Amino acid sequence: MRAMNTKSLLGQALQGATVALGSLLALSAHAAAPGITGTASTTGTFNLTAAAMRVTQPNGKSLYSWGYGCTSTTGNSFKPAMTGNNCPLAQLPGPTLIVTEGDTVTVNLTNGLPAAAGNTSMLFPGFQVSSPAASTPGAGVAGLLTQEAPSLASCVTAGCNTVTYTFTALTPGTHSYYSGTQGDLQVEMGMYGAIIVLPKTVPANCDSGLALANLTAEATSGETDFRLAHAAYDHASTCYDREYLFQFSEMDDNIHQQAEAQVLADQAKAAGKTCTSATGCLVIATEPYAPDYYLVNGRSMPDDMDPNYVGMYPSQPYNGNPHMHPGELTLVRIIGQGRWQHPFHEHANHVRVLARDGNLLLSPPVTVTTNGVTTTTTLPAGPLMFTTTTTPGMTMDGIFYWTGKGLNWDVFGHDPSLVDSITKKPVFCVPDANGFYTVKGDGTTAATEPNYYEWCGDHNKALEKHPTGQVAAGGPATLPDPNIVTNGNWYSGSPYLGGEANGRAVGGTPIPPAGTTANSPTGEAGFAYMWHSHNEREITTSNVFPGGMMMMMLVDPRSFAIDETN
Amino acid sequence: MKSIPRLLYVLPVFGLLLGALDAQAQSFRVQCPTSTPFHPDGSNIKCQQIAGGDGYATMADGSTIYLFGFGPLSGLPDIYKGLPGTEVNTVFNTTFGPDTGTPSNLVGMPDGNFAYSTLFNGGPFLGAIGLTEDYGLDPWAAGLVYLKGATVRTATGIYSAISDGTSGANTPTGTGTFFDGGVNWGYQGSLLDGHVDARPIMDVGVMNANQPAPLIAIDEDDELFLTLTNVGMIMRPDLFEQHTVHFHGYPNASAFYDGVPDASIAINIGGSFTYYYLAPDAGTYFWHCHIAPPEHLQMGMVGQLYVRPRQNKVAPGASLYTALSQWETTPTPLASNPKTAADWATYEPVRKRCGGNSDILCTTPLPINQSAMRAVVDTAHPNAGKYNYAYNDGDGSTYYDVEYPIQIHGFDPNFHFVGMTFNPESFNDMKDKYFMLNGRSYPDTVGGHVCVQNDPLPACNVKGVTPGAVVPGPMETQSTDGTNHASQPLPTVINIPANGHALLRISDLDVFEYQTLASLGIPMRVVGLNARLLRDMAGNNMAYNTNSITLAGGESIDVILDATGLQPRQKFFLYTPQLDHLSNDAENFGGLMTEVNICSSVDPQTKACTNI
Repeated sequence: MRAMNTKSLLGQALQGATVALGSLLALSAHAAAPGITGTASTTGTFNLTAAAMRVTQPNGKSLYSWGYGCTSTTGNSFKPAMTGNNCPLAQLPGPTLIVTEGDTVTVNLTNGLPAAAGNTSMLFPGFQVSSPAASTPGAGVAGLLTQEAPSLASCVTAGCNTVTYTFTALTPGTHSYYSGTQGDLQVEMGMYGAIIVLPKTVPANCDSGLALANLTAEATSGETDFRLAHAAYDHASTCYDREYLFQFSEMDDNIHQQAEAQVLADQAKAAGKTCTSATGCLVIATEPYAPDYYLVNGRSMPDDMDPNYVGMYPSQPYNGNPHMHPGELTLVRIIGQGRWQHPFHEHANHVRVLARDGNLLLSPPVTVTTNGVTTTTTLPAGPLMFTTTTTPGMTMDGIFYWTGKGLNWDVFGHDPSLVDSITKKPVFCVPDANGFYTVKGDGTTAATEPNYYEWCGDHNKALEKHPTGQVAAGGPATLPDPNIVTNGNWYSGSPYLGGEANGRAVGGTPIPPAGTTANSPTGEAGFAYMWHSHNEREITTSNVFPGGMMMMMLVDPRSFAIDETN
Repeated sequence: MKSIPRLLYVLPVFGLLLGALDAQAQSFRVQCPTSTPFHPDGSNIKCQQIAGGDGYATMADGSTIYLFGFGPLSGLPDIYKGLPGTEVNTVFNTTFGPDTGTPSNLVGMPDGNFAYSTLFNGGPFLGAIGLTEDYGLDPWAAGLVYLKGATVRTATGIYSAISDGTSGANTPTGTGTFFDGGVNWGYQGSLLDGHVDARPIMDVGVMNANQPAPLIAIDEDDELFLTLTNVGMIMRPDLFEQHTVHFHGYPNASAFYDGVPDASIAINIGGSFTYYYLAPDAGTYFWHCHIAPPEHLQMGMVGQLYVRPRQNKVAPGASLYTALSQWETTPTPLASNPKTAADWATYEPVRKRCGGNSDILCTTPLPINQSAMRAVVDTAHPNAGKYNYAYNDGDGSTYYDVEYPIQIHGFDPNFHFVGMTFNPESFNDMKDKYFMLNGRSYPDTVGGHVCVQNDPLPACNVKGVTPGAVVPGPMETQSTDGTNHASQPLPTVINIPANGHALLRISDLDVFEYQTLASLGIPMRVVGLNARLLRDMAGNNMAYNTNSITLAGGESIDVILDATGLQPRQKFFLYTPQLDHLSNDAENFGGLMTEVNICSSVDPQTKACTNI
């Protein structure tokens, strides 16, 4: 627990999770916001089960937990289609339910929890939920906050342990669901998940102009569009190019151990003596609360940067591993799922808060002139934040991007003498109205160029006064001697973006050596930033730094294909 | 990717270049150019040097607490006075001269003697500690054979031979090329070229961690060269920790200079790393070490940083709206490939604009109100003509008379004790017991400095203040080296001129929990959040009045206290309604609290309160 420099980062992770680390270095795992859209036959109908499971942690621990999953692991529709798409019987967090604004959503929840847990349920904050009339199938039993699914032991008849919830998905955006029964215990045990409601109407500007050009840029480097929609809301200011969902929660191992012991003890009892109570038979103190695991999408760092649906975490299918290219509008969907607030600090830029709990934050109507056309519209009114608090039960949608504008040096390491190997011409940067390279000098799109969306004001501007490699000289700064610094695992080897620029900057033997890092100097060579809880003690896993609520966000050069297939 | 083949015919060049590398190997070093491509005239270049190490502070209950922290290595008298240690290059690039005394006179600096002494050219020495001429360079001499690239020193600077030859009779001088009669010489820079003597750096930097870390303040369009010098942690010789500087909240940060050791490089003990940034958009940012953050932040490696808006440079009487709209509505930039300085100059207005309502992260939407003028000098008002602004608001809505950086933090004394005594620390059991504003709890927030005979501190030279009196000022703690260190330089007394405005630049770097700060009596007007003006993209002012603000670690907020209608000598309080935080460990009185005084006038620099 001492001297947590970047070298010991590897050591720490190796102690607990050799497998996880191996995959961390070997795979390029990136993710959109995957989930299910319903059963194969009916979009918007979800057959979910609450059941016990085990979740794994990077220190090698396996925590007994409860979660929502798919009643049948087959016959589910997934979005987007990804390698390894699956929906287990229970998972952490529960399956992300993806529906479209106006859809009728039906959730048939079956209580598959151990009898000692008693009844369970689901709450859908922000929606008007109804259940079938009493004594009809799916009615469940009345609970404190909603209709509950009884435990099979307490209601006896097959099928009696299912409750049906129906609502209309009126508000787009990111929403949450979680247990409404003994929430202090059941939510702690892992019973929560996300609902993403896609807008019914995508504004036209989200499919034209720069939004469209970005698809060309992605296709140029062989990328596939993994967005769930092209806008977060039915509003012209909510277009996006990439999206990520982060659910924050924490776990107190002690509660989980007690639950497991008492469930096992109950199951060991003689027939007829086991628990049949609607409120369960567990006596577990959920206060004082001392969590030791801090999770993003059910995983702790570094596991959160492994792929979605990867086999080594059968009950934790979703990752937290954001990647983007310069200029891409990235939709960040954030949910506070546990009982604590966590200040989520996004390194590298601000986030414009679009909405809270699915409610767009908008200005009063104003008159706006764009390209000579005057319209009356509303504009975003949410704040710009570099630390977005995750509050229990609250969701947030925000837009983030990174361009490097204003650094006052060329992040691509261009040099006026640099000649493109194919065109034999200097590398160009022709500014658009806002100063970025999106349109070439001849008026055609620059989306196929490796420096698409470069901030032209800094094009060819040197950083280094005396560079060793072939990057512009005469800049303001001198870099430290490589012998007196320690390299990070995500350090790409130079201040410059991309393997090509890095190669020119540091030569054939990049420091650190190629292939030994999580952000290879000759491969990905992106700019890495830490996105993490700024309650810094939460970036630990069971008392060990690093871990917990932390991930690396990568701004990748266009030459590196961001693979979102898993 | 089509550009990769370029690498192939570039590679052979590297061998040559690497072989030709001159001795760049360095340990301690500073950087503060006299000119840059962006500021060829040398203006707007700001520099600061800090030491990363350990030290001690005193808590309000009298306990001494061990710190990992940063100490000042430039602008020492300014730091002592509670001001930023950020200096312009002409001030930074000065040398103190020989470090004398056994032990060194510099150990324990900054202190009162040093800060106000006439040791340096009749005034306090604000330059970089350790900066000295590089006596390792050979002096130029006539009649010697020099090969191209040879570097020499003369009385006027450092010169490099442009060609081979035997030197003539004329000593190289000037800042261009110079022909000495045999060899052509090119000016390389002043004799103070960043070379430092390690002894004064160690004398000042060791055991000198400050709480909070040295204040950094710059203006928009400044270039900042921040040199972090890692002097090591004396009380923990088992550690070989690197330290970094994370510029928290910087928009469009570069991964290289972001200070995250995993994503970049981190400086080892015995070395210096200079961070380079063009100042980002105005706002209240802050900074901290990013090595093992749960540990290094709790142990005290936290500091304040703010960027003042270029709106402060608008001429008195001129329209603020016009100034802002000049770059917000600027036309399309030059449609060519920028190559020259002139091309880049055309970008300046484009850099300063945010793209209006087409840019979702636009920082400076034009305001609805277009009528505000920059305040003109008005002798009837105590601070007339001295208004400054928190943001480029274009409507004057963020003006203030005097500003106060306030950092909220918490210390768990057990964690610090364990950290000092070579034991493994527990993150799960962390529990803060000291709740601090600028590294102090009440009542030290309104005092901290014990006046001595002939004390140079202005607050001690007020009628009625006698030796032994406690006044707001730097607070000293005796360290294990037997020397007092002014490790807590910042009091948090809020003095506001009657009818004036105080800007509170509040940041929070607590690693453990959320903290609330409330105002008793004067409403808090929240004008900025997370270093951004509170304004929607349509230009509506979203500022709001409140009596309390709540921040997590990693957040900042800008609050204006308006003393309109209040009378001098009135007193108010800022305190936390989290009542268990109004304590200093076992003491039931103290904690996160300070006082607000209404004054006849307040010096915006020294923050001194005058009542008539």
